[in-house]
Amino acid sequence: MLPFKLLQNKTVLITGSNRGIGKVAVEVFAMNGASIWACARKETPEIEYFLNNIAAKYGVNVRKLYFDLTNEIEIRESLKTLVTEKCKIDVLVNNAGIAHGGFLQMTPISKIKEVFEINFFSQLLIIQYVSKLMMKQKSGSIVNMASIVGLDGYPGYTAYGSSKAALIYATKTLARELAPYNVRINAIAPGLTETDMAMQMEGKAKDKMVNDSAMKRLAKPEEIANMALFLASDLSSFVNGQVMRVDGGM
Amino acid sequence: MSNLIKYNEAFISSFQITEDQLANLTYQSVQGWDSVGHMALIAALEESFDIMMDTDDIVDFSSYEKGKAILKKYNVTI
Repeated sequence: MLPFKLLQNKTVLITGSNRGIGKVAVEVFAMNGASIWACARKETPEIEYFLNNIAAKYGVNVRKLYFDLTNEIEIRESLKTLVTEKCKIDVLVNNAGIAHGGFLQMTPISKIKEVFEINFFSQLLIIQYVSKLMMKQKSGSIVNMASIVGLDGYPGYTAYGSSKAALIYATKTLARELAPYNVRINAIAPGLTETDMAMQMEGKAKDKMVNDSAMKRLAKPEEIANMALFLASDLSSFVNGQVMRVDGGM
Repeated sequence: MSNLIKYNEAFISSFQITEDQLANLTYQSVQGWDSVGHMALIAALEESFDIMMDTDDIVDFSSYEKGKAILKKYNVTI
């Protein structure tokens, strides 16, 4: 743990906070003094317990927002809460997403659209709302969770990789659109990470990705969360429009 | 300050124009009302009336007169 808190007096909104990288990021951010808006698809006893425990453990305010990323109306209604309550959001971590693997010839276009709906369009919708608050504040940092698959071609990742590549392009473009308002936006491109998502992969494909990495292992979720912490904090105050690879060297 | 004065002021300050230019003002009819100016106008209106406009309304906001109708949706009567 650092001897100081990088996100003291800051409020972070993080999507996909119920598992994987998002869940670990909630703890890393709370440990660093941030108040949290934790977003997840639906309320469960497990996530309520987890978030309440984090609030008590680190003495921070943790509020919850539940919405389904495939439901635009739900997203809008939830985010309007932030507007009507005139919330200050200093950091947005667009972490939620779905994985999909399959060769193009085995992937219906409807599935590709579904992947884009969650991994790209819903992320843009969230950015539209939250960046408005940040533009008014004249400050903010947005972190998009992309993937090395959005940068490098991997067979079987047309849907997932394309959706992440689109998110990377949006990150670069929005960095220029939002910079006049002192809002930064960056992306993280994790390599394969120890999460449920990685466990769904076929063994051979997983082994290849691990072997492609110089460090010959999966990333730990906290290693990705730490990069999100850096990009969220003022330590990265001149980092904008970048895609940060966290892949053990590929 | 009346809503009309606040509404007019948002256009005047965003586009650097005078009040007599407002009546028939449409998107891109003056140099200042380009896409960047449009975002400045929306920010000024949102600030003045304490609202948050939906993207569809921001896109539809194509003239001085049309804007009045759109703001009604947010309970702002000009």
